[in-house]
Amino acid sequence: MAKTYDYLFKLLLIGDSGVGKTSILFRFSEDAFNISFISTIGIDFKIRTIDLDGKKVKLQIWDTAGQERFRTITTAYYRGSMGIMLVYDVTNEKSFENIKNWIRNIEENASADVEKMILGNKCDLEAKRQVSKERGEQLAVEYQIKFIETSAKDSLNVESAFYTLARDIKAKMEKKQKEASNPAGARSGGHQLRNEPQRKPTSWLSRCSLL
Amino acid sequence: MSEVENNETPVQNEEKDYVEDGKNKFIVKCKFCGSRILDKKSAKYITIEKDLPLMQQDNNRKEGEIQNESVNEFYHVENMYTFENIGFTHTVANCKYLSCADCDAGPVGYYDNDTKHSYVAISRIVHA
Ligand SMILES: Nc1nc2c(ncn2[C@@H]2O[C@H](COP(=O)(O)OP(=O)(O)OP(=O)(O)O)[C@@H](O)[C@H]2O)c(=O)[nH]1
Ligand SMILES: [Mg+2]
Ligand SMILES: [Zn+2]
Repeated sequence: MAKTYDYLFKLLLIGDSGVGKTSILFRFSEDAFNISFISTIGIDFKIRTIDLDGKKVKLQIWDTAGQERFRTITTAYYRGSMGIMLVYDVTNEKSFENIKNWIRNIEENASADVEKMILGNKCDLEAKRQVSKERGEQLAVEYQIKFIETSAKDSLNVESAFYTLARDIKAKMEKKQKEASNPAGARSGGHQLRNEPQRKPTSWLSRCSLL
Repeated sequence: MSEVENNETPVQNEEKDYVEDGKNKFIVKCKFCGSRILDKKSAKYITIEKDLPLMQQDNNRKEGEIQNESVNEFYHVENMYTFENIGFTHTVANCKYLSCADCDAGPVGYYDNDTKHSYVAISRIVHA
């Protein structure tokens, strides 16, 4: 059967235990109606189809296991991921400090060109906040990663975060494709913005068709 | 359609107004929130017998007990990326249950870890 979509992106939710990764993926609120069967088993991943500038994009979004620590997450875990949502809890200082450790772990184990985004979750809990929005923004600038505060509870900014990450992956892919069809230009770097960091050759681009 | 018992599957399929050329004639949506699960004509109609846990388990059931019902009409999806929007649960007895990606209602079907094929229970979705 003919392929009915333009892009397929595998995305991972990463972060300390309790920051809200599962809640970001699992929208059900307990007071709606009784579907405890699904919530007791838990969701492994979701497939979502979105439209990005007229292209049909499939997102496969994976939750990661609650007890995983960055020390134990290795290459196999990240295999094939093109985007990673780094989640911390704005009411938990430690989870914010650990974002740096997660980033280091990603740099050591994931594909070099994996697209990243930082989410400061639980922004509905203003009274319990320990990490200001400004500190989140600073961290993001430091690592040149996009950042947004979210509330899985209120469904605030969650969808737009996934759109943003997907759009960045798509832009990167299209840039790579353009360079591939015009290798001379890419090598000379003539069309690159001056302060854009040099990136290693893509590896997931060639792999993504196998997913 | 209780006339004559007919074992010829194709003939039976012709009788279903939601099946065309052996596939789902309409868009498949979540019963509860309308989330789009499958595009029209993207999955094969099949009849097989399968026990699926009820979408709404009785709160007064015994602990650990799962209430099932037998389901026999499905849309067969060979490649999971055919789905528009869907959730996959963690594995239970070599299968994953399918749930709505938007409201998490389910199971709306199951996924077989061996064959990697998915099956959407027609009685648990709506056509549009
Ligand atoms: N107020 C508020 N609570 C949230 C939010 N997101 C998650 N929670 C709560 O935080 C707790 C932990 O959320 P989970 O989604 O289980 O966290 P997790 O990151 O999946 O944790 P692990 O699976 O252990 O890694 C739960 O009690 C959620 O209800 C949010 O945006 N706002
Ligand atoms: Mg979790
Ligand atoms: Zn739904």
